[in-house]
Amino acid sequence: MNEEKLLEKLKSAILKGDPNKSIELVNESIKVGIQVKEILNKAILKGAEEAGNLYENDEYFLPDLLMTGDAINAATETLKNSLKEKSVIESKGTILIGTVEGDIHDIGKSLVISLLQGQGFEIVDLGSDVPPEEFLRKAKEINPRLIGLSGLMTMSISKMVETVNLLKNENIQSKIIVGGGILSKESCEMIGADDFAKDGWEGVKKIKNLI
Amino acid sequence: MVKDWTASVNRIFRTIAGSKRVDKVPFLAFAGEQMICRVTGKTVKELYSSPKVYANAIINTFEFLNTDSINVPSAYAGPSEALAFAEANNKLEAIKWFDYQPLMCKQGEICKSEEDIEKLEIPDHSKNNLWKTSLLSAKMINEKTKFPQVISLSIWSVVQELRGIEAYKDMRRNPDLLLKLCEKIFESQMDIYENWLEIVGMPPNVFIAGYSFNRHMMSFQDSMRYEGQYIKRMMNKIRVPFMLHNCGTSPYFTEVVKEINFVAVNGSHPLDIEYWIDFKKKYPKITIIGANIDVSREMLTGNPSDVEKKVKENILKLAPEGRYICCPVCSLPWGVPIPNILAIPKAIEKYGHYPIKIN
Repeated sequence: MNEEKLLEKLKSAILKGDPNKSIELVNESIKVGIQVKEILNKAILKGAEEAGNLYENDEYFLPDLLMTGDAINAATETLKNSLKEKSVIESKGTILIGTVEGDIHDIGKSLVISLLQGQGFEIVDLGSDVPPEEFLRKAKEINPRLIGLSGLMTMSISKMVETVNLLKNENIQSKIIVGGGILSKESCEMIGADDFAKDGWEGVKKIKNLI
Repeated sequence: MVKDWTASVNRIFRTIAGSKRVDKVPFLAFAGEQMICRVTGKTVKELYSSPKVYANAIINTFEFLNTDSINVPSAYAGPSEALAFAEANNKLEAIKWFDYQPLMCKQGEICKSEEDIEKLEIPDHSKNNLWKTSLLSAKMINEKTKFPQVISLSIWSVVQELRGIEAYKDMRRNPDLLLKLCEKIFESQMDIYENWLEIVGMPPNVFIAGYSFNRHMMSFQDSMRYEGQYIKRMMNKIRVPFMLHNCGTSPYFTEVVKEINFVAVNGSHPLDIEYWIDFKKKYPKITIIGANIDVSREMLTGNPSDVEKKVKENILKLAPEGRYICCPVCSLPWGVPIPNILAIPKAIEKYGHYPIKIN
C-alpha cells in the first residue's frame, strides 16, 4: 500500500472511531517509514478536524466525537510509545480542568479531555466536585496555561464565582474558561472568566483559541 | 399555608387544556432543594426527615415565591432514581450527599461494566426511604393545597446517571447493551408510577424529563430509539396528557412533537424568542412553558426591572392566544436575588391578565 493510501486509511479509522484499526495503521505507517509529523498531521489531526466539521454539519453527534476521541488517543499513544520519544508531538501547553464543587456531572468535561489530549495538550483532570482550594493548589503546582471549570447545574455558577475569585486573588495568571449549558455572556462576566462554552465541542474550539 | 391554591390550579390546568376561562398567565418555577433550603433554612437531610416537614417546607417555599405551581423536587427520575438503583445494587458509594442541594450520583459508577448492566437489579421504590418520603409529601401537598401533583418520569436522565459517558460510546459499539439498560430503566419508571398510583393517586399529567432530545447529545433518530420509543410505551400505559422537558442547548422540540403527542413543552433553550413564536404558529395546541426568561442573565445578574421587561416580552409575544405558562428557563440558582423572582408574578399581574392588551 502506498503512503498516501495508508494515511488515508488511518484518517478513516480515526473518523470511524476505531481505536484498534487506528493502532494497527499507525504501526504499519511507522514500519513503512512514514514520518511522525506526516502521520500526525495528515491522518490523525486531519481526522479530528473532519470529525469536527461533520459535527458542525449535523452529520456527527456526541457519540461519534467520543469514539473519534478514543481513536485519536489510541493513535497518538501508539505513535509516542513506538518511537520511545515522548516529545515527538509538540506540547501545546497544560490545561487544568475539573467540575466545580457541588457538581459531579462530567460528560462535557470528558468530551473536552478526549478531544484535546490527543492533539498535543497535556490535561490534568481534577475530576468532579472539586473545591476552589484544590484548583488553586494544583494551579500553583503546575502553572497551567488554561484552567477549565465545568458545571451543569445552575447552582454551579456561584461556585465558579468563588473559584475564580480565589484564583485571581492568589494571582494565578492562567486563562480561565467556564463550561456548562446554562452559562451566558452575562454570567461569564459575573464569574470573571475569560470565556465560556455551552457544550463540550464549543469548549474544545474556544480553548484552542484562548491558548 | 396561607394561600388559596384553587385559582392557581385552575390557571395552570386550564392553560394546558387550552381553555379560554383563564384569568391570567400562570407562573411556574422550578424550585429545587437548594431554593427550599434557602427559604426555610433547613438542610436537605432535615427536609427529607419526614413527609410532613418536607411537604410543609415545599408549600412554604412555593407560597413565598408566589408561584402558581407546586411540586416535590425529589420525586423526579434523576438523582433520586440513581439513589434507588444504588441502594438496590449495593452501590451507595456512588451517591454523594450535600447539605443544601440535592444528592448527586457519580455518573457512570453504578453501571461501570457490561456485567453491571446485565445484573442490574430494578429498585422496589416502596422500600426506598427517599421515594417513600417524596411520594407521601406529594400526597400531603395534594391534600393540603388541592394542587394535583404531576409525576415526572425519564429514561435518558437515568441512563446518564447510571452509565455516564460510556452510554454515548455504547450507542456506536454496543447498542443492544444500551437498549437492555433502557429497558430496565423503563421497568423501574413503571414501578415509580405504580407506587405513585397507590400513594398519591392518579396524576393529571406526566412530565417527561427527556434529556435525549437534544442535538448536542445525539441524533434525533437515536433520541427516538433510546428514549422516544419508551415514552410511547409509557403513553400506552398511563392514559393522561404528557409534557416534555429538555434543558439542552439545541432541543428537538419541533421534531419530537411530530412523533409524540405532547400537550406542553418546556425547555431552557433556545433563548431566541423568535423560535418560540414560530413554534406557537406551527403548534398552536401545544402549551409553551418557559421561553427565554434566563436564569443566568436577567434573573441572576439583572434587577427586577430587567426581569419585568423580559416577562412582558414573553407575555405579549406568546400569551395572547393562551396556552402559555410563564417560567424561568431552568431551576432557580442558589444566588438568584429573591426580588428578581418576585418580579415575575408582579409583571404577570401588570401585563398578564386576559385578554392580553398588546399595546
